[in-house]
Amino acid sequence: MEAELRDKPSFANLRVKMQPGDAIVAEADAMANMSSTIQMTTQWNGGVVQAILKRFLGGESLFVNRFTTDQGGELVITQPYPGDMACLELKGNTMFLQPGAFVACEPGVKLGLGWAGWRMLIGGEGLFRLKVSGNGRIWFGAYGGIFQKEIDEEYIVDTGHLVAYEPSIGVRVGMAGGLFSSFFSGEGLVTRVNGPGRIYLQSRSFGGLAAWTNAHL
Amino acid sequence: MSQIFSGGVFSSDLSDGRAGVEIELLSSHVCASTAEGDAFVIPYEQCSVEQGGYSGKMLFCRNPDRSITIFSEDPSFLAALDEASRGLLSEQLAAERAKSKRQSRRGSLFVTGIVVGAAILIVLLYYGVRVGADRVTKALPVSLDKQIGKMAYQAMPKEGTEVHDPQLVDPIRGIVSRLAEHAKVEGLDFDLHVVDSPTVNAFCLPGGTMVVYTGLISASESPEQLAAVIAHEMSHATLRHGVSRISQSMGLSAAVSLIIGDSAGLLAAGEEFFRNASINSYSRQQESDADGEGVMMLHKAGIDPSGMPGLFEVLKEEHGEVPEALIWISTHPDHETRIAETKMMIQSLPDKNYDTIDLDWSEIQSRVTNSVEMKSE
Repeated sequence: MEAELRDKPSFANLRVKMQPGDAIVAEADAMANMSSTIQMTTQWNGGVVQAILKRFLGGESLFVNRFTTDQGGELVITQPYPGDMACLELKGNTMFLQPGAFVACEPGVKLGLGWAGWRMLIGGEGLFRLKVSGNGRIWFGAYGGIFQKEIDEEYIVDTGHLVAYEPSIGVRVGMAGGLFSSFFSGEGLVTRVNGPGRIYLQSRSFGGLAAWTNAHL
Repeated sequence: MSQIFSGGVFSSDLSDGRAGVEIELLSSHVCASTAEGDAFVIPYEQCSVEQGGYSGKMLFCRNPDRSITIFSEDPSFLAALDEASRGLLSEQLAAERAKSKRQSRRGSLFVTGIVVGAAILIVLLYYGVRVGADRVTKALPVSLDKQIGKMAYQAMPKEGTEVHDPQLVDPIRGIVSRLAEHAKVEGLDFDLHVVDSPTVNAFCLPGGTMVVYTGLISASESPEQLAAVIAHEMSHATLRHGVSRISQSMGLSAAVSLIIGDSAGLLAAGEEFFRNASINSYSRQQESDADGEGVMMLHKAGIDPSGMPGLFEVLKEEHGEVPEALIWISTHPDHETRIAETKMMIQSLPDKNYDTIDLDWSEIQSRVTNSVEMKSE
């Protein structure tokens, strides 16, 4: 299965050239177009209970679509908002994704939920993370550009900019500075990440877009 | 025998900078081997340990220049490392355990603080809005009370037909006028309606719209006693208890809109309140305040205020158990207390020669067509 991320970084989408017998799992409503030789089946996102938990706690869809083909074909998968997409290859390792970042994966990838902690809820980041593990490629998306960073010590990321990270990364939510500067600098709460490990960041945040739009209404 | 743990390694020597490994705790060092056959070694005496990661339970072992980091999330890795290193890492591991406990305690405190703080904020906000709405209500012009009273009077079910007999209504209207001169608030119109009903009750809506049931006229032994009830009810209007109760009954959003200057919610809540709630559903404090203000009004108008405890005595003696028909007294604080309280109030008043209300009371009572229907046990 050949996969290519196109129109990066603003309007990235994934074109998959499927060979007979290939399969790919994608987020509900992610398919933009496909050959008529590809069959789509809808399934619970990891079982009924798991799907409900992922929907309400992980910000993911209740259902995922599985695309298969006997004759081969082309499939284009996209995300609902403008921004970049990235590919990760899992080789038995685990990654955590922010709610809503998952776009597609190969069938060998397992989608689960990881507890994020009460503080993350206060930081507006949700109580759970999507935990992807197993073997295979995974494609995830972001609002704005995606860049990765290797960190070893503590590193500060504004809430809403963290997209994915390795399990070796410690994540906690805290104030940007003192009580006064945290509330009047516009930064409020920030995410403090601790290495070693790799983090993926998005250059824009939905919270920022919402605040900007609100200010102009 | 050495133990094997699954985990990972970070090293710039690896193509991706990281790899999954099997970790072996040997006698002098920790050794991590990748599936490709690369091995990474950190002697225990050079190892610095740190706990962290997503779960907070991952244990990292690092060499002095931090070029190699070996880590595992296996719950027994920490204890095994402590044992294998023969006390070399005990101090560091104990410090990490303590740090982890501290963080977990701080986390719990933080969450508890947020939850308790949020709960306190909600309660303060709720009462703040209620108190704010009450204050704003009291600051509103009395014309709003009149509007509410008129709307409520039209909307509320009537217990009988209105009596228009001037021989019956005019004397009572005279009592109302005499008391109205001493109303605490100016601008109220005490518009009297006498309603033919055996119910021993009277009420005064916000703004002054007033209803006296013929049942109350029959039950009163003297015009002073009726005047006492009327003064009490008029006091609810002059003390603006009605609008106060309405603002308390309003939803939070209506209360907020009232505070920011929109009184439409208050009008709607007023109509709704008087249509559904009992007319006399005032708080005990409001009832006591109305007793006090009523006594004061009677005193100023030159009407003997002892009619108030007098009526309570009559009702108590004649109907020890308060029957359903005696709504006026049954919705008020218990009459023993009220008799004592009103008597005390009257005693504290300066001496005054009260004029008796010059009415042929038995003639007035005889014009009441309905008799009070008492429920027998």
